[in-house]
Amino acid sequence: MIAFIQPGFWVFVLAMAGIYGIFSLGLQVQYGVGGILNFGHVGTMALSSYTMAILVISYGVNFWIASLCGVAVAALGGAFLGLTTLRLSGDYFSIVSIAFSEIVRYVIFNSDGFTGGSQGSLNIPAKVEGDYPTYTNTWEPFIGWVKDRLAVIFGDNADRDMAMALIVWITLGILLIIVGRIERMPWARVLRATREDDDVPAALGKNVFQFRLQAVILGSVIGGIAGIYWALQFSLLSPDDFLTIVTFYGWMILILSGAPKVKGLPIAAIFFGFLYGGTRFFTFWPFSILDSSQRAYIRIMIIGLVLIFLMLKRPQGLFGKREEMVLE
Amino acid sequence: MSNNLILDVRDIKVHFGGVKAVDGATMSVERGSVTSVIGPNGAGKTTLFNLISGAIASDSGTVAFNGEEIQNLHPHQIAHRGMIRTFQGAKVIKRLSVVENVMLGGQKNPGERLSGFFNPRARSRYESESRERAMSLLKQVGIDRFAEDYAGILSGGQRKLLDLARSLMAQPTMLLLDEPFAGVNPTLVEKLLEVLNSLRQAHQLSFLLVEHDLETVMNISDRVVVMAEGKVIADGLPNSIYDNELVIDAYLGTRKKKS
Repeated sequence: MIAFIQPGFWVFVLAMAGIYGIFSLGLQVQYGVGGILNFGHVGTMALSSYTMAILVISYGVNFWIASLCGVAVAALGGAFLGLTTLRLSGDYFSIVSIAFSEIVRYVIFNSDGFTGGSQGSLNIPAKVEGDYPTYTNTWEPFIGWVKDRLAVIFGDNADRDMAMALIVWITLGILLIIVGRIERMPWARVLRATREDDDVPAALGKNVFQFRLQAVILGSVIGGIAGIYWALQFSLLSPDDFLTIVTFYGWMILILSGAPKVKGLPIAAIFFGFLYGGTRFFTFWPFSILDSSQRAYIRIMIIGLVLIFLMLKRPQGLFGKREEMVLE
Repeated sequence: MSNNLILDVRDIKVHFGGVKAVDGATMSVERGSVTSVIGPNGAGKTTLFNLISGAIASDSGTVAFNGEEIQNLHPHQIAHRGMIRTFQGAKVIKRLSVVENVMLGGQKNPGERLSGFFNPRARSRYESESRERAMSLLKQVGIDRFAEDYAGILSGGQRKLLDLARSLMAQPTMLLLDEPFAGVNPTLVEKLLEVLNSLRQAHQLSFLLVEHDLETVMNISDRVVVMAEGKVIADGLPNSIYDNELVIDAYLGTRKKKS
């Protein structure tokens, strides 16, 4: 109960919600516009965060350059996924995309001498033997500087999580503006057409495969950016951070927000973050009757029930258009 | 190959399993003319269409468009060369507005490239010109009052008009129309014919039409190709087709009496 009323905890939840929001925005580009059901999105986050960590720890690359490389590798991962599997129609693509993220995770899990294997980033071989394997040496002073600026306004309440939340939400804001603009471009109109039908855009001279591939790569870049923040938020990486369930958290946010437009996404991200984080504190009566392991399951059930209830009441999501769902 | 032919199809074949859907069809379309392909159900008309437009790959044979062989190209590459097709039953993008459907037909739109993001001026200039042209095409086919509605609300006949306007947006040199008159009421057919005729005169457009029976295309066609069981069984002026014994046999009496 103590943590429940501490603002610090909720600031942490806010930062995480922002990271999940960025992650989910990558899915929004792919599904909301192009109708591409990608169930392997977490793979892009794993690729970017591990690439950044390995470049910094093992090769001593500058953190900012390493982050750019991480995002680039996520884009390449998306391109690889798209080039090999996008020719499969709808459902088959989704199935193969799960395999993509699982392959990434298993490769990381089993490449001990390179990625740290099951022990995570703490086991990545450092460039200078004996050095502590960390990738946050450049980031921590920067975030400390941001924290000090925040202290001017928030006094003692300013902490690392607050600085992180601020940076993450600024990033999400910028990305929302950019993606929102892209989705008003004719580029997105063609993709929306491909969501319903391949033949019509093709007959009008649109290379449908190329448009879909671009959408997957763009979404992967955004997923890659989320991966960098994920790595920085926890200061440690483990293959278990990138389970398929994380992809579905991204999907939950997208479905809550209403897929075709980006504007609901930040609200849905916050809603998800607080639903996910907040239910940890259901320790009062009647939940106190149960022991803590039982409560852990009850919590997941409550999250599920809330989501089902919302979907029944607003199937189009918070900001989706209901008319679009009923057209035949 | 005569320079006067915009489309020249030679001995094209395709089979689906054991069915020879198109079994060595040869036909051509003269520049600026209207050629119609007719035939009973299952004759292979739409399959021939799909072969010409690249929607399905042929087993053998050649398709030349403006003298260039196109049988191995993708549909979008064929569209880039100026041949635009419509679909049987008219396919519209239901969750785009009517005017957006038409705007999809625009070619070389800088905003359809992701790099166009960095050139908002060129993008919006093209977009407003494109909207204007789309609106005038919609006016021409008479459905401009639905411009801002979802295309999903249009009736079958209106969808055909939309499909036509969208194809014209691409500024084709040749139009392939798959059963443009089927299921359309007579007033609308008049409207469609009027639009087609004016296009033909204004832009030197060439047409290839697929229809079920001769009556519909009798008056607008310069030439009629009759298919049955995957083969071309007759090819000539509409009047000569009318009395062709082979054609009458193919239809097995289903052909309507001239009224």
